[in-house]
Amino acid sequence: MSHNIKILPGATVCEDCTLEGDITIGGGTVIHPRVTIIAEGGPIIIAEYCIIEEYSTIIHKKSDNQEVPPKPLFIGAHNVFEVGCRLESPCGHIGESNVFECRSFVGVDVKVGSGCVIGASCNLTAPQTLADNTVIWGSEHHIREALEKQPSQLLQLDFLSKVMPNYHRLRKPNVHKRPPSARQSQESSPRP
Amino acid sequence: MAYLTQPDYVKYVCSCGQLKPITSLYFCRHCLKIRCGFCICHEVDSHHCANCLENMPSSEARLKKNRCSSCFDCPSCFHTLSTRATMAAQRQAQDPAGGDAKVENKQTKKMYYLSCFNCRWTSRDVGIPDQSVASGGWPERTNPFLSRYNQLLDYYKAIAQQEKQEKLERERKKFAIRGKYITLTDKTGLTGAMARNIAGLPTSESGSSAAIASFTPSQASAEVDELPDDVYTKDVNLKQITSMSQRLASPEWQPSSVSRLHPLAKLLSIKRSQRCRVCDHNLTKPEYNPGSIKFKIELLAYYHVPEVKIISYETVKPGEKSALLLKLTNPTGHEMQIQLMQPEDLPPVEEREEPKSIEKSLEKSLNLEKDTSSYRAIERVAELGSSSRVTAPEATLTLAQRDDAAEYDDDAQQDTSDFILWRKSNKLALRLEVTTDAAATPGAPARAALALQYSYRNTVPPAPAAPQQAHHTLYTTLLLDLGVVSG
Repeated sequence: MSHNIKILPGATVCEDCTLEGDITIGGGTVIHPRVTIIAEGGPIIIAEYCIIEEYSTIIHKKSDNQEVPPKPLFIGAHNVFEVGCRLESPCGHIGESNVFECRSFVGVDVKVGSGCVIGASCNLTAPQTLADNTVIWGSEHHIREALEKQPSQLLQLDFLSKVMPNYHRLRKPNVHKRPPSARQSQESSPRP
Repeated sequence: MAYLTQPDYVKYVCSCGQLKPITSLYFCRHCLKIRCGFCICHEVDSHHCANCLENMPSSEARLKKNRCSSCFDCPSCFHTLSTRATMAAQRQAQDPAGGDAKVENKQTKKMYYLSCFNCRWTSRDVGIPDQSVASGGWPERTNPFLSRYNQLLDYYKAIAQQEKQEKLERERKKFAIRGKYITLTDKTGLTGAMARNIAGLPTSESGSSAAIASFTPSQASAEVDELPDDVYTKDVNLKQITSMSQRLASPEWQPSSVSRLHPLAKLLSIKRSQRCRVCDHNLTKPEYNPGSIKFKIELLAYYHVPEVKIISYETVKPGEKSALLLKLTNPTGHEMQIQLMQPEDLPPVEEREEPKSIEKSLEKSLNLEKDTSSYRAIERVAELGSSSRVTAPEATLTLAQRDDAAEYDDDAQQDTSDFILWRKSNKLALRLEVTTDAAATPGAPARAALALQYSYRNTVPPAPAAPQQAHHTLYTTLLLDLGVVSG
């Protein structure tokens, strides 16, 4: 398996976690220690400002009718993966502002929209598509629809990216800003 | 022996005939009997909110319909709602000309909304505006049937008053008939109402009778709104429809759509005190402070009755003998003499019916179940214990008093005999034999009944009038669960 891990600047990725395969981690994302991310069926792209907490597992599973080249698993921005949650999805797309609560399980063939909450210890195994703003909670898997997306965890992210370097060894960002972004900043600076 | 999640292997027989584990039994120090939640009086001591721990007297609680005024439950999942704060830009009518308006617009203000951490329901979901204060001020919905409700309330109050009046009148009449002398009013036919009339006072029942007269009973009607045309064809969106429990949680509105859910004011909790029905003494009394979980009076069986635990047992086979290891514990601060007995050898429960005052006997007749159940208890145990019996040694066992410091010295007293396994401070392990009936059906639950005779030192200061004896010999019956009878 090719180990091709791209960490964008601004991401906080602890050293003590298992990252296998082709993984791209966006800026502002915080990955706690003991996280497992395995991209065996195709690349995993994690967008900006996600929180992936301890013991959570994200696997891009190999499937029999694999496309060539393999489709990436794209995880949108502002997703929160709480302690011990597990996501096994070859389905390609996870929206943004979702919350995967503690010890929740999202199996294969589950498409997750945006603003969804999978409650603590809820197991989603049947093939299904979660519409935007779906909330699943309780041992009986009650479903309701929220009016708006879950509020973003920017304050928490800020705090974590400040505190995490004090207590953990971090993986260094290995992708540097491309020249276009530098040019943009030059352009924007003289404006005011 | 009692567990949180496992079945209760050792059950004690309450004086009312119920079988309960020792942890859910009480011990009345005045009657010297075991009582359970079924045969005692439960009284409400205080009302409080379990969330904010606010204490309120019962009259106030009734006025607030037994609900807290500041705490809410989630209408979706019934979890307690939490108040969350957000910084919101102040929506202020700004005058477009002024330069200050721009500065003012940037000012943020803390706004509060209610949110459920379990199902993520928020008060914003149903369009309740955010509040500027952290607690209180949430809009209250009025009951759509408030006027009818008040009408009914007035009507029934009037009826109750009238009935009370009639009863009083009847009693007065009875008294008058029994009386030896004819009073002036009887002779002249002058009733109280007439006297009132003459004196120019308003008649006593005018208020209530007016309420009764003006009351209109509700009419049953066969007219029901037609169902919409698309009721069978339209797709049902279960996310928009409330569940049965959600509707019944607010009986006044019974919202059928999720968008009509409204925060539910939290129901108050109570603290109860328990009272023995026979002697009217308190068995438990909690501390008044809602934050405290301690008791002022706590007469639990666990502190007074010797505790029996099963260490292990051999499989019970019909017609055979099997070994049984038991552990006895003395929870009291005094030495205890224990003798194992057969339940049928227990002395019959003597009914010490002292000549009581009329009120007492009246009270007794009101709660009928008490007397009859005490007889049923003995019968029931005999039935249940028929499959196996424990061979009880004749010897009297002495158990030392409980000593919390004894835990730290670990030399077990080797005072063993043929049936005493070991002895340690206030604990004692016994090896006993269980004889099972040959007729016991394999697969049936194997139960063995056992009776204990134990000495009990009463620490209640004796009443000055009746010199009480401090030492008592008490009996208790218990039922041991020994799995199932094997084939």
